[in-house]
Amino acid sequence: MKVVTGVVGNDIHVVANRLIELSLNARGFEVFNLGVNTYLEEFFDAVVETGAEVLLISSLNGEAEGWSREIKLLKSSYKGLDNLVMMIGGNLVVGSADAEEIVPKYKNYGFDLVFHQVDLNTGLDTLEEYLKQRGMR
Amino acid sequence: MNRLLIDVGSTYFKVSTPECIEQHFRDFNKDILDDLKYKCQKTIECYKKNDVYICSSANGGLSTLIIGLTNSFSLKYAKNIAFNSGINIIESVMYQNLLDYSIPSDLIDVVIIVGGINSNRDIFKDDLYEYLEKLNYSNIVFVGCENEAQKLEKNIQNLVILPNIIDEKLHIIEENLKVYLTNLYQQDIEGKEDIKNLYEITANQIYSTPYIVNKTLPFIHTKFGVVDPFILIDIGGATTDIHYSKDLVDDNIVTENEYDRLVFKKLGVYKSKESLIFAAQSNEFVYELLAHLKVTENIFSDESQKGTKVLMQLAIFLVLTKMSYYKQSYINLKLLSINSIVFTGGITKVLSANEIEDIISFFYKKILNSQHNPMTVLDGNYDIWTIGAGGEENVN
Repeated sequence: MKVVTGVVGNDIHVVANRLIELSLNARGFEVFNLGVNTYLEEFFDAVVETGAEVLLISSLNGEAEGWSREIKLLKSSYKGLDNLVMMIGGNLVVGSADAEEIVPKYKNYGFDLVFHQVDLNTGLDTLEEYLKQRGMR
Repeated sequence: MNRLLIDVGSTYFKVSTPECIEQHFRDFNKDILDDLKYKCQKTIECYKKNDVYICSSANGGLSTLIIGLTNSFSLKYAKNIAFNSGINIIESVMYQNLLDYSIPSDLIDVVIIVGGINSNRDIFKDDLYEYLEKLNYSNIVFVGCENEAQKLEKNIQNLVILPNIIDEKLHIIEENLKVYLTNLYQQDIEGKEDIKNLYEITANQIYSTPYIVNKTLPFIHTKFGVVDPFILIDIGGATTDIHYSKDLVDDNIVTENEYDRLVFKKLGVYKSKESLIFAAQSNEFVYELLAHLKVTENIFSDESQKGTKVLMQLAIFLVLTKMSYYKQSYINLKLLSINSIVFTGGITKVLSANEIEDIISFFYKKILNSQHNPMTVLDGNYDIWTIGAGGEENVN
């Protein structure tokens, strides 16, 4: 299964980005890592070019929020992305806030799976479980 | 090195020996070779065919339409390769929005279809074939997903299939398409009966002038006081070519070439004068520029030297605008970062350094809202192409 991943916006947490790639590889995913400083359009374009089933965006210190507000609008401008599994993880807020508050907000932005300050393996276990439930894995 | 270098332009030809460069206005009632022999017979006779090197921009480049899957990868990569091959891109079309684009009425020299990494599949559907049927094109090439190639080949006549320009890491592979386009450009030049005849006096391949100028750029400092980074603008009779260092482009495409080029096929001051005027009339700043130059729109029908001067000035403004963030249709250069603009071609015979600097300053103020003032360097003697023209030894 193909996954496009990368770090959105001007965020530069390159180490975490690399760890995500290694973990996804270890779990048998084919990974297309766009690296840091990635624009939303590039994420969706990479999904279209690769035929990926999963888009996993990572972010630190709330950088994603400004970008995520545009996700639904941008995604709707693409044809054929209705079944794309959208996942985001990292530290998704500026300052501090509870996951109970953040997760619904990001789901409302258009993500299927949202992980705020959750360790990587837990997030990826949940992704695999989610894919199984949808009959994708 | 005792070599004879000849550049055949749409308006002038230039003949360079180690001693001097001759320039002659072309006699359009004569075949190029006959004209050349008539004007430079004695010079040509002094050289063996092996020592004569010819380049030409007389045919003005190829027009291209690119159909790609996404902006960030397939279209961006194909555009970059096409620009680098001296191609004039008339339209780039996102495949998924195919029906939203109007059909170009011009004959397109080459259509490029691109999209998808090799392991992707089921990308292109019938809407592609329906769109292509409405186009008027001479060549068509597919450089996308391998899984799509057979299907496309069945449905598109005379489709040339080349290896994908997008690798499995979503990086660009430019060589195959670049060679194909460069060869097409080459065939286009040589397809002119006039150009073919020139093989009577040379045993070397005749190249396109933009290709030769691009070869020159890394060595430009040997003859000119150019401060990096720089761009080179060649405004000729039929085309305007821009050569630029890749440092001036934000697009994160890693290729082996240090310099790229763009050819604006319909932006010259003699052969493509009408389309230059049309482009000028479509630009909302041009009337301010005309007022700045203290002329009116009547200048477009003025055949005098004054009219030619203004057209040249408009060409500088339009081409800089096309490369700026103000216009998104072409590659955007970091024009505020450049330190020199080198001018070559017919423009250096018509405009003074002051007249050129005046337009550049107008452009920076009006379009980029800046007082930036890059140095202007004029290649008044058509020296630039001679550095790259004499084959590998000349530039090594």
